[in-house]
Amino acid sequence: MSRGGLDPKAIRERTVLRLYVAGPAPNSQLARAHLKAFLGEHADRPVELEIIDVLANPERGLKDGILVTPTLVRLRPAPQQQVVGNLRNRAALAAGIGFPVIRAHHEK
Amino acid sequence: MAQTQTKTKTKTIKKASTVDDDKVSTGIAGFDEITRGGLPRGRVSVVLGGPGTGKTIFGLQTLVAGARSGSRGIYVAFEESPEKVRANAARFDWELSSAQGKRGIEIFDAQLSRTVLQGGEFDLVGLLAMLGTRAKKLGADRIVFDGIDMLLVHLGDPLLVRREMFRLRDWIHETGLTGIITAKPTKRDDGRGSPDHADIEFMADCVVSLDHFLSAGTAVRMLRVSKYRGDAHSASEHPFTISRTGIHLTDPSALEISHSVSKTKISSGIKRLDAMLGGGYFRSSSILISGAPGTAKTSMAVSFAHAACLRKEPTLLVSFDEAPGQIVRNMASIGFRLAPHVKSGMLKIISLRSHAGRPEAHVARVRSILDEHRTKNLIIDPISGLAQMHDELLGGEAALQLLDAAKSLLITVLSTSLLPDVATLGEQAPISISNIADTWVHLAYASRGGERNRSLSVIKSRGTSHSNQVREFLLSDHGVEITDTYAASGEVYMGTLRWDKEVDDRHQRDATRRSAEHQEKNAERALAMTEARLAALRVEQALREADLDRLKTERTADAELVVDEEREREVRRGTLEPGILPSRRGNGVAHR
Repeated sequence: MSRGGLDPKAIRERTVLRLYVAGPAPNSQLARAHLKAFLGEHADRPVELEIIDVLANPERGLKDGILVTPTLVRLRPAPQQQVVGNLRNRAALAAGIGFPVIRAHHEK
Repeated sequence: MAQTQTKTKTKTIKKASTVDDDKVSTGIAGFDEITRGGLPRGRVSVVLGGPGTGKTIFGLQTLVAGARSGSRGIYVAFEESPEKVRANAARFDWELSSAQGKRGIEIFDAQLSRTVLQGGEFDLVGLLAMLGTRAKKLGADRIVFDGIDMLLVHLGDPLLVRREMFRLRDWIHETGLTGIITAKPTKRDDGRGSPDHADIEFMADCVVSLDHFLSAGTAVRMLRVSKYRGDAHSASEHPFTISRTGIHLTDPSALEISHSVSKTKISSGIKRLDAMLGGGYFRSSSILISGAPGTAKTSMAVSFAHAACLRKEPTLLVSFDEAPGQIVRNMASIGFRLAPHVKSGMLKIISLRSHAGRPEAHVARVRSILDEHRTKNLIIDPISGLAQMHDELLGGEAALQLLDAAKSLLITVLSTSLLPDVATLGEQAPISISNIADTWVHLAYASRGGERNRSLSVIKSRGTSHSNQVREFLLSDHGVEITDTYAASGEVYMGTLRWDKEVDDRHQRDATRRSAEHQEKNAERALAMTEARLAALRVEQALREADLDRLKTERTADAELVVDEEREREVRRGTLEPGILPSRRGNGVAHR
């Protein structure tokens, strides 16, 4: 990761994310909102996001080895990284995705 | 009891589901019996226990039992990888890796990766949706959540943990799956990941607590069903062991005894006791002789051993803290000559130190001798020598194992135990007593009238008519003897009291006898008097007869005199020829 941080090409590499949610469950709703807000702060970075609702598509969740909802998986850049929970924790979210925290004023 | 047996029989032949529609068999010997069929179907059962108590085995075994009867189940492994679970399961004779095992049991990897980042609160909504899909697809009817606290600890808030536990409970109820959730018991103040105990008690339909502790260096395992919603169950602690077949309860109260039951009676070595027991002990049964120190339990036991040796049956006497020579010498003083039997090998005496070595080691030693010695009768004096705990009078798990092993070898087991008197114990003896003993003989001191005498009573004797009387027994130089009971108006007389009673009775008998003698004498005298009177009468009779004779003779003489006078007169008248007497009339007529 530190090497990727130094390499401008790597910084611009497409980030592939998957967010597994459980339909209308509050934590899943929150996770969507927190992720979208965070990505909005990094609009300049190319991100490919897929949101998978395991209530609608449980087979997919099983196949991907998802345990709890919500779970955010960063597939690329390697290595794969997971962040579980409603993504209220911006530090964990930033670390998971590999983007810096831009506005951390409301999060210690 | 009969009901349980019928159930068990059906179970072995048919699918578990046909036994009781609202119960799911766990395949755990003894557990299905104490819960009358197993876990509640379609409900939540929580298996509580610390590390190494056998929670995982409990869960897996239930799935194995299901797989064997054609059901399917899902094992959700939060704590270990599926590979590790399979490796652990391979230690048992469950054939989990066989085609049937693989088809019947799916192991779901539910370990949260160690590199996962904590981004906030999460829930089980998605997981349960996925598991529901999987269960439906497999046609599973049971599910085990093993070590869910490993996941929930990440929530970091007891309230959130609680919320997810209730979510899980509701999901199980909705899906109709039979759920087992394992959990570690927690103290209220450190309930970070593990659900609070009170919550579990509240949410679960059935709570099984497993305990595993060390006592005097020995592992003891206990199982208890602390809750079973809407159903009667045994809530007492049941010892269990883990063997290659899995968990099985060793408490015979919970088990259907599969050992063939003998109808043959063998002598206790004491004639009167045999009579009290309707012929003696049953062969291959277990006998418990309890009593305070000095009540001659060993003598009773040796009496049985002696009788067995005389029947030419190999007998093993396991004695704790008493050397073989000591036993032989002591028993000789009350008339049991054991030395020849020891010499011939018919009687084998081994002495063990009760507090040296683990009970399991003792059991292993005894077991190895049983086979080699072809033991028919086993005597354990006392059984508490096999105890794990110092206050355990009946021996612990090790003792139960030995009894069970002996029974399966059809060995008759007589054990002695230092039990307090039955009065304080009541008839409410600890469950294990009455269940390790088919026949229970209690010895006690009965002190009455300032004397302590030994008393014997048969508290129970399974399948036998037996005397309920309390008897006095004596140690004499020719063994143990049971005296005649003096039972009068509900009292049992012993010792001096008995003697007093006997003396009283003797006096009474004497008085009766004397009066009888008196009457007899009177009668004799009366008879003699009668006879004397008779004799006198006979004399009188003789006298009177003599008189009569004399009178008759006199009368005849008179008559002849008269005739002669008449003849004289006629002769003188000249009407009669001289010499013809009128008394000889016929001649006279003929002459005429």
